[in-house]
Amino acid sequence: MTHHEEPSAQSHPESSRSLGDTLRWAFELDSSPALAGATWLACEIVPSARDPFEAILAESTTLGALEELKGAFKMLRTTGTTSAERSLAARLYAATIGAALVRHATLITTQRGESLHRAFTELQSDPSMPEPIRALASRALDAARSIT
Amino acid sequence: MAATSKSALTQTNWDLIRDAASDSTTAKSSLERVTRRSWPAIYAFIRASGRPPEQATELTQGFLCDVFLARKLLEKADRNRGRFRTLLLGAVRNYLADIHRRTTAMTRMPRGGVAPLDQLITVGIDPVAHGADSPERAFNARFVAGLIRSAAERLQQELLSEGDEASWEIFRLRVLQYAFDGTTVGYEEIAPRFGLAKGTCAAKLLVAKRRFASILMDEMRATVENPSDLSAEVDELLSLLGSR
Repeated sequence: MTHHEEPSAQSHPESSRSLGDTLRWAFELDSSPALAGATWLACEIVPSARDPFEAILAESTTLGALEELKGAFKMLRTTGTTSAERSLAARLYAATIGAALVRHATLITTQRGESLHRAFTELQSDPSMPEPIRALASRALDAARSIT
Repeated sequence: MAATSKSALTQTNWDLIRDAASDSTTAKSSLERVTRRSWPAIYAFIRASGRPPEQATELTQGFLCDVFLARKLLEKADRNRGRFRTLLLGAVRNYLADIHRRTTAMTRMPRGGVAPLDQLITVGIDPVAHGADSPERAFNARFVAGLIRSAAERLQQELLSEGDEASWEIFRLRVLQYAFDGTTVGYEEIAPRFGLAKGTCAAKLLVAKRRFASILMDEMRATVENPSDLSAEVDELLSLLGSR
């Protein structure tokens, strides 16, 4: 009987911690709430952020980072595991577009007119969204009117 | 994926053990699979207990022949159940103590008699005395590595069969590479390879990680008889690996 030995580093304390990290997040992801996925994505793209709202609202978040966030939330709108997560992703998607419009005067979507207006209006009136995000939506509505 | 191959992939350790200990037509292949899955952790324990590589390999082979192939552990496992990892760890520890006792009996003067267990512990048979780099830690690291490897193989098969090579590669470079050697590759390097935006890469990785987590937890559940033991087993492994 012959067996290939697995990498020797696996018994090293540092690698043991890496294996433990993987085991821990796998166990936690198995039962994560709706916000966890969006938070994880936001932190991957804006490491200094603690959640997606902070990533979108931070003055230091660049236009490029907002475009990356928009792409990530766009995909999460369809790949989210629950309807709550997909709905949240749709709101965050609109919020990133709004942030780019308000802070960078740049439209990072091909959406125009009615659909853009509707997305910002729904974001502005959603009571589950943090107040700064709703305020951002309000400013984005004003900015959108000036370009459409 | 065909139903039969999926069934084989998701067969639990306990399913395999019961089958290996039976007289079924698949007993031999089940025994080989249990042996292949267990080998790295057994070797790691023996090697970390101070044996040089060649001797550790011989002892691992000896353990497999004496304890696995003779089906002693498998029959006992079927009676006692519980956690497979704990059972395996205890069996290896007892095997080494038994080997040491027999070796000592053959090579030492008989007037000293057989060394009592507490004496064996003080001379290093008990791996707990080794602290952070103990045989238990090595065993558990290999055990978790084996579970991660097995879950990753299933994820790879699923993603590639769906034609999603990008998700597999992103997962491999960002998660597996970190798990096994502590290094990782940035999105800036990965994204251009697949013509994807960084944000899309991250979203693909999230989906892959969730699928992997689900598969890994399946693998973990397969090592405990009672599904309600899963949380305790994960907590214990994390503690033993020093990540909590």
